[in-house]
Amino acid sequence: MSEHILSILVFFPLVAGLLGILVDKDSIRPYAITVAGIEFILSIWLWSEFDMNFAGMQFIESVPLIEQFGISYTLGVDGISLFLIIMTTLVTFISLGSLTVTNRVKELMITVLVLELTMVGVFVALDAILFYLFWELSLVPMLYIIGVWGGPKRLYAGIKFFLYTFTGSLIMLVGMLYMAYLYYQATGTWSFSLLEWYRLQLPYDLQLWLFGAFFLGFAIKVPMFPFHTWLPYAHGQAPTIGSVILAAVLLKMGTYGFVRFSLPLFPDASVTFMVPIAVLAIIMIIYTAMVAYAQEDIKQVVAYSSVSHMGVIILGTFALNVEGITGSIFLMISHGIVSGALFMLVGVIYDRRHTKLMSEFGGLAHVMPRFATIFGIMMMASVGLPLTIGFVGEFLSLLGFYEQSHMLTLLAGTAIIVGAIYMLSAYKKAFFGEVTNEKNRNLPDVNRVELFALVPLTALVVILGVYPKPILEPVDRSVTAMVKLMHAKAVTDEGKDRIADVLVTKEAK
Amino acid sequence: MITLNHYLVLSGLLFSIGLVGVIKRKNLLMLFFATEIMLNAVNVGFAAISNHYGDLSGQMFAFFIIAIAASEVAVGLGLLILMYKRKSSVDLDTLTTMKG
Amino acid sequence: MEKYLYIALFAPLLGSLTAALFGARPKTLFTGLWTSGLLAVSWISSILLFLHVYADPSANVVHVKMIDWISAGNLSIPFGFVVDQVSVTMMIVVTTVSTMVHVYAIGYMSHDKGFNRFFSWLSAFVFSMMILVMSDNFAGLFIGWEGVGLCSWGLIGFWYHKQSATWAANEAFIMNRIADLGMLIGIFLIYWNTGTLQYNEAFTAMPNLEHTLLITIGSFLFVGAMGKSAQFPLHTWLADAMEGPTPVSALIHAATMVTAGVYLVIRANPLYDLIPEVGYVIASLGAFVAMFAATMALVNRDIKRIIAYSTLSQLGYMFVAAGLGAYWVALFHLMTHAFFKALLFLGAGNVMHAMDDELDPFKMGGLYKVMKPTAILMILASVALAGIYPFAGFFSKDKILEVAFNGDHYILWGVLWVTAGLTAFYSFRLIMLTFFGDERYKKLGFHPHEAYPYMLWAMAPLAVLAAVAGFFEHSFVHFVTTLLPSYEFHTHHVEMILIAVTSTIAILGIATAVIIYKNGMLHPKWMERPCYKLFTNQYYIPQFYDAVFSRPYKELSVIFWKQIDMKIVDATVDLIANTLFNIGKDTRGVQSGNLSIMLRWMALGVTMLLIFGLIFVAAATLLG
Repeated sequence: MSEHILSILVFFPLVAGLLGILVDKDSIRPYAITVAGIEFILSIWLWSEFDMNFAGMQFIESVPLIEQFGISYTLGVDGISLFLIIMTTLVTFISLGSLTVTNRVKELMITVLVLELTMVGVFVALDAILFYLFWELSLVPMLYIIGVWGGPKRLYAGIKFFLYTFTGSLIMLVGMLYMAYLYYQATGTWSFSLLEWYRLQLPYDLQLWLFGAFFLGFAIKVPMFPFHTWLPYAHGQAPTIGSVILAAVLLKMGTYGFVRFSLPLFPDASVTFMVPIAVLAIIMIIYTAMVAYAQEDIKQVVAYSSVSHMGVIILGTFALNVEGITGSIFLMISHGIVSGALFMLVGVIYDRRHTKLMSEFGGLAHVMPRFATIFGIMMMASVGLPLTIGFVGEFLSLLGFYEQSHMLTLLAGTAIIVGAIYMLSAYKKAFFGEVTNEKNRNLPDVNRVELFALVPLTALVVILGVYPKPILEPVDRSVTAMVKLMHAKAVTDEGKDRIADVLVTKEAK
Repeated sequence: MITLNHYLVLSGLLFSIGLVGVIKRKNLLMLFFATEIMLNAVNVGFAAISNHYGDLSGQMFAFFIIAIAASEVAVGLGLLILMYKRKSSVDLDTLTTMKG
Repeated sequence: MEKYLYIALFAPLLGSLTAALFGARPKTLFTGLWTSGLLAVSWISSILLFLHVYADPSANVVHVKMIDWISAGNLSIPFGFVVDQVSVTMMIVVTTVSTMVHVYAIGYMSHDKGFNRFFSWLSAFVFSMMILVMSDNFAGLFIGWEGVGLCSWGLIGFWYHKQSATWAANEAFIMNRIADLGMLIGIFLIYWNTGTLQYNEAFTAMPNLEHTLLITIGSFLFVGAMGKSAQFPLHTWLADAMEGPTPVSALIHAATMVTAGVYLVIRANPLYDLIPEVGYVIASLGAFVAMFAATMALVNRDIKRIIAYSTLSQLGYMFVAAGLGAYWVALFHLMTHAFFKALLFLGAGNVMHAMDDELDPFKMGGLYKVMKPTAILMILASVALAGIYPFAGFFSKDKILEVAFNGDHYILWGVLWVTAGLTAFYSFRLIMLTFFGDERYKKLGFHPHEAYPYMLWAMAPLAVLAAVAGFFEHSFVHFVTTLLPSYEFHTHHVEMILIAVTSTIAILGIATAVIIYKNGMLHPKWMERPCYKLFTNQYYIPQFYDAVFSRPYKELSVIFWKQIDMKIVDATVDLIANTLFNIGKDTRGVQSGNLSIMLRWMALGVTMLLIFGLIFVAAATLLG
């Protein structure tokens, strides 16, 4: 079974989801939670079977689909994708477990399970067309979730999300096809297999074009400035479970794409575009933090904060050294957990008051102390307090990028300042002060269903903040291998210079 | 001398007259007339070229067109009568159900 | 010996976590006793470690490495702790003051709803501070650094129903974060240039680095220190932090957190020895702050703020010493100051409690009759602060003045000397206004009473230390200079003159205060003078920060949101979408459903195709 674990991980939610159509409405909840739980356990089992000392792809399965064009069904996992998969299954499991939607629950749960299929598929696909397939497929269930169970402007938000992301992906598809064509020209055979593409060294000018094509697809998904405006609407209108999964997993697909595709395939272009992208990332960090500070709706604060954190992730990715990329991947996982928790917390208060405006709150810490504590912990993790999960990734990303540019890192480092400003301000508006609104006086504190989701996340925030090694180690190994590959493949001198040469150990100058 | 060109010019002129009719005419019956003119213009052209090159396939084609035109008119006139019964008018502008 | 290290480090954490379990419940005396007890355990462990290290400083340094924290690439940061001369001194200071404050707080917070939560935060703070001083690498230092920032936020904003408190808490956190960015950059520089963040390895590698690089590192690290130790211009949070309960002010804002910056400079002395220019800047800034803060304390009408400015002023003294290379002198003053300043704050707490949390000394007066023990303790602390023999402050402050004089930094010496006089003046202004003179409080209806006896007993050890700590100077120097560089004094011949001069101005300051305030307040005409207004309004700096930083930031944020994000960025996206939509809508007219129109289009299309075909054929034949 362990040879096919990845296929099982990918298709089990789909099969179970389709079977769920037969399950009757009252038992759909336990059914879906059990399915998600089994999926989570399977991913943990994958972790246990994973060989920590091997840096390359493991559990590879390959079945040719369309021979003439080299499209095959290839799956594989390495240190970079392993924890993204686990985070996906975990977030799906606990968000299903703490679901409070009451209308059309069955359809929602099945949609989420189908979404899980696509998300896991993106992280394990090693064939470009297969990757693209899962990538695009993930848009459909998300569109449904926003469009059916969302807020008043849900159709606008959902369609905007779908079309915007779809446009970027189409350009990426063109890039993929051109890449396959270049491979054919170089070797004489068609192939869309990523591992084979890794071996291809491309001339510099072609790298630039292809990087640009892939960039659009990933940048809109991340979302990078100025392609980010779909996110506040999508989050604002989506139900809690939609926001959680969107923020925790779907955004990571974009940054994962950068690490998996853009960096190793186009190393020299990555070096060339490093500074413009870093500038965009810094704008993302500071600008969206400031916009978050101006928000009146607490969910929008968290939505914009997501964009701000993704800026740090992008910065870490384009540090082009092991510390930075490892940091960015860890920050992806950390952001998934923290943002997921923050959106769930917003969902808790929304369930009680049916409003997300901070002016309606105030003094909540008196009424809901446990809720305030958990929110406080998550807030501190979001701000990057050491010994929480949020610090490790941010520290490593900034540390990594410092090597490339001192000034830009200094600007990016203001992330810790602007992050604190909007987060503390929002927390103060909502939780501190006297209870100004009478409706808030008798709100119940977090109940068991909500704690089911929040307690594991809080525990992870603290545990992984104190002991991040189980995750850092395999990520570090795979990233080291990837950076070595990048360095070897670089064709320009600047590429060789900027990409860290991991065979050289650091000595004091 | 009457050369091929004369016939082709005649064919072209007839075709244009038919085309103008198709474009301008509002009355469905007049539309049919104009279509017939266009078809016959093409017939003239075919016959002339066939005679010029000594290839009979042009004239055979003309025969086919005459036959098809006749059947087309039959069906078309039948539909026209039905339409007249429904809308009591043969004005083209009343046909708008296919508006996009 | 390692187990004592772990006990000293983790006992406060255990206390904090157990107290947190009761956080939302009403007060249980158990939490106060349990946390204080665990702190006492930590205290005893620190003393044991101290004795161990004291016995043989070169051999008995305790060093542990717990687990790997972060390893990526070539970076490897462990959780490592070291107990050497400097850290054990800090540990003793922290645990002593913390234990006393914990016991005191049992009484002070006895009527507070959030009693359990308070002790949880307070012990968590001590834990963070211990990490800070016991860490053996810069990343561990940063953990403690941010941790104390967090606990300070939680404790300043403890009474979270008060807008002023939560505002002050946020201000403190954000200002500290601004400084923390500087520290982070310093840490990055250290890693990328020396390959490690461990103290000993980094310091060994530093002499090989370029001088300008060292200056950069030292400057950035000092920026971090500036935030924590509230040096100008990042000083406004310290006075506002007095919103927190008084035990918090005593522990955090007198003895421990604010001294973290000084600790950093002392710990990084191998670096700062290589860059004396930066040291001179640090010292000059310190002298400036000393005078600056003292002027603001002269006129303040809030007992806690007076003491807070006093702390700021003394921190300036410490930085002068550290900046000029006399690290042990700075450490010594840190230690003595912790004792008498904490004592002063705790006494002020007693006064506040007696006066129903009133803060204005102008509303007090003559409290000596009702609160003799507190008054005596506060007078003792003030005398120590003023630097009068034989109390501790005399020894440490005098040494700093000597250091300034020694290096021929006469301006610095002059500034510090005047400030010493001001210090004595405002300390005794406070004492006179609060405890002596007319009993103004009676007209305002207060009924003061002395604090609980055990609170006074908690203050007593601090008083004893403030009195006698000075006599341990020689053994202290001997002990600490096995690690820190010793400082050569060339001024032995003028030493007695300097002492006399310093003591004179201090006594003068005290005398002036006693005379002026003996019969009550100052003449109101004084308050009209411009310099009085300047001092009272803190040189208008908070207003300046608000007008130049806070408000524009908020307005800019709103502009970014409403104008740029919504009107420009989003509108562009919507523009593209709407353009496409409108094109579709307009071309819908082609499908008019009208046969004659469609025939016209068809005819047009055929003509166009023919024309294109002709052009194509013509072009093909022409071009061959």
